[in-house]
Amino acid sequence: MNKKILIVEDDVHISKIIKMNLNIVNYDTTEVYDGLAALELLQREKFDLILLDVMIPKLDGFALMERIRPYCIPVIFLTAKNSVYDKVDGLRLGADDYMVKPFEAIELLARIETVLRRYGKEERMLGFQSLLIDLDKREVTKQGEVVELTPKEYDLLVVLLKNKNIALSREQFIDKVWGDDYYGETRTVDMHIKSLRKKLDLQDHIKTIYKLGYRLED
Amino acid sequence: MKFWKKIYIFSILVFVIIFNAASIMVIERSHNRMLEQEIDSALSQYMSIHSSVNAIVPIVRIYDSIDYEKTVLTRIANEFVRTNKEQRVYLDIRDETNQAVFSNIDFQMPEQRKELDKLGADQINYMLRDIDERTILFTSNMVDVSQTSYLFTYMVDVSSVYQDRVDQYKFFVKVDVAACFLYMLIMFFVSRGLTRSIERLGRTAQVIAQGNFSERVQLQSKDEIGVLADNFNNMAAVVEDKINELERINQEKQRFINNFTHELKTPLTSIIAYASFMRTTKYDEEMFLDGLNVIYSEGKRLEMLSLKLMNLIVLQEDDFELELHDLGAVIAEIKPALDMLAKEKQIAIVTECGPGELRLEKDLMKVLIFNLVDNAIKASDKQQTITLQIVWQDGQCVLAVMDQGIGIAKEHQDKIFEPFYMVDKSRTRSGKGAGLGLAICKNVAKVHNANIRVTSNENHGTKVEVVFAPTFPKGGMQE
Repeated sequence: MNKKILIVEDDVHISKIIKMNLNIVNYDTTEVYDGLAALELLQREKFDLILLDVMIPKLDGFALMERIRPYCIPVIFLTAKNSVYDKVDGLRLGADDYMVKPFEAIELLARIETVLRRYGKEERMLGFQSLLIDLDKREVTKQGEVVELTPKEYDLLVVLLKNKNIALSREQFIDKVWGDDYYGETRTVDMHIKSLRKKLDLQDHIKTIYKLGYRLED
Repeated sequence: MKFWKKIYIFSILVFVIIFNAASIMVIERSHNRMLEQEIDSALSQYMSIHSSVNAIVPIVRIYDSIDYEKTVLTRIANEFVRTNKEQRVYLDIRDETNQAVFSNIDFQMPEQRKELDKLGADQINYMLRDIDERTILFTSNMVDVSQTSYLFTYMVDVSSVYQDRVDQYKFFVKVDVAACFLYMLIMFFVSRGLTRSIERLGRTAQVIAQGNFSERVQLQSKDEIGVLADNFNNMAAVVEDKINELERINQEKQRFINNFTHELKTPLTSIIAYASFMRTTKYDEEMFLDGLNVIYSEGKRLEMLSLKLMNLIVLQEDDFELELHDLGAVIAEIKPALDMLAKEKQIAIVTECGPGELRLEKDLMKVLIFNLVDNAIKASDKQQTITLQIVWQDGQCVLAVMDQGIGIAKEHQDKIFEPFYMVDKSRTRSGKGAGLGLAICKNVAKVHNANIRVTSNENHGTKVEVVFAPTFPKGGMQE
């Protein structure tokens, strides 16, 4: 079952683009544009996570935060302010993370994933076509058969799956798979992608995006 | 050293010196008086001996015998000593060979007797001498009897006078100690009391220095310190006002920056997010066009924001050439543009313009009218009316923009001229604005030496009045 995320953001455009980004990686989303609507909705429906803009009409983010604490739903604040004071305020109120606008979509996805994992809400099994990936065992099966992958190939596959339908640059892959302290060539990414395509028969699904990087497509 | 201690110690020092000096002078003077009296009485005593001796001189001369002389003298002396027994008086009579004719002294007669050196006939000399532990007054005189002359020395023990002085001093020391102690005690409280208000001033100054600017000194006294405290309080009040003012300005600036960041970041977030989405996801025509639209409109919004900010910045420079124009004509000029703006909501714009010329910067005035009407349209519902009015009263021109819209709540009315301040916090707005319109209007008004007044009833409409400073008949503006 897909995770349900509530987007509380008063700017229609921003709300919509967040929704699109989340939908593409298989989160279900609901949008509301003010604090009171959010509160009302939360009384009726359960969500796995809330993305909450601080400056929203009727009931601002901090006030809403106070009211929804009993629901124990993880909250990530979205805001244009980036003063330390506001961060501390937000986190003290029980926010799980804090995103300062403008932000990159994959950064938001990564934060959402981290927060969900912290709450034990992360999906431990990832599926794609005939592939099944067990995150606990670090095991990949294709049509029931275990496929042997090197650790880096495995990590790369997980990043691709988690950012399904979103293109990532080679630098982003390096950052997420090899870590900040890797100073090798970006060609390493190409090599690993090549072997993933071969081992898992994903030639049609891992697309090379011109001038950018790679994207896993359904 | 603390001020009260200075006062304390200094006054005690002065007191001790003056008190002691004065007392010593008094004691010495009274002692000298007593001594003089003693001497006078000794002299008169002696004179009585002298006169008794003189009385017998003629008789003695008749007998003309040394032995008789001596016997008579001895008898007189004995008589004298007997009558003055209780007083410690001594008599010593010697002849020319320094042989004692009579003497009742009970001490050693000093060898050197200076008072005798210049002793003439019929002259009485006296001198004070310390002998053993006594002070004795020596009174000497040569007396010529028939055969020889005799040296009469009459002596009085005046120790008691000196003893008196010692007693006086002893008593004085006691009084002195008591007086000093009393004085110290009184001065302690006096000096503390005098300086307490200064101390209080100091403490208050400290409290203020620690940032508590509303602290004041409470002093009732009318003296110099009271005046100082009053002045101090006045100063503190001025400082407090200044600091509050600075704080307010600072907060305003901070709010400006916060709002500006928000206004800047919201469109930027959209632009970046849409561009990123389009860049990294599979092409989908509908989504692509949507995204481009958002990027375009948000880009436009940024453009508008930068233009308005430029306006605001330019207006701060305050260097405009004002020329005489008919304000009604200016309104007529932009009326078509306003009508266009109002058409969407089917709002009618009515103008009621009295004729009259004003010194204006035409373009700025258009910006002002445009902004005010734009606000009125945003506040209005469909098919309502907006009235633009120019009224002349006593040479004073008032431009009013009235709508029948939602009005402005009391709590917002004093803040609406602040840059980025928006009554409707919801940024889902359809009529996009950055909240800079009225801030610009205010600055335009300032350039024209005008004031903006807002009267508003919630749900009944708003009336914004631009009141121009009165002009002189020739149209010159009062500076």
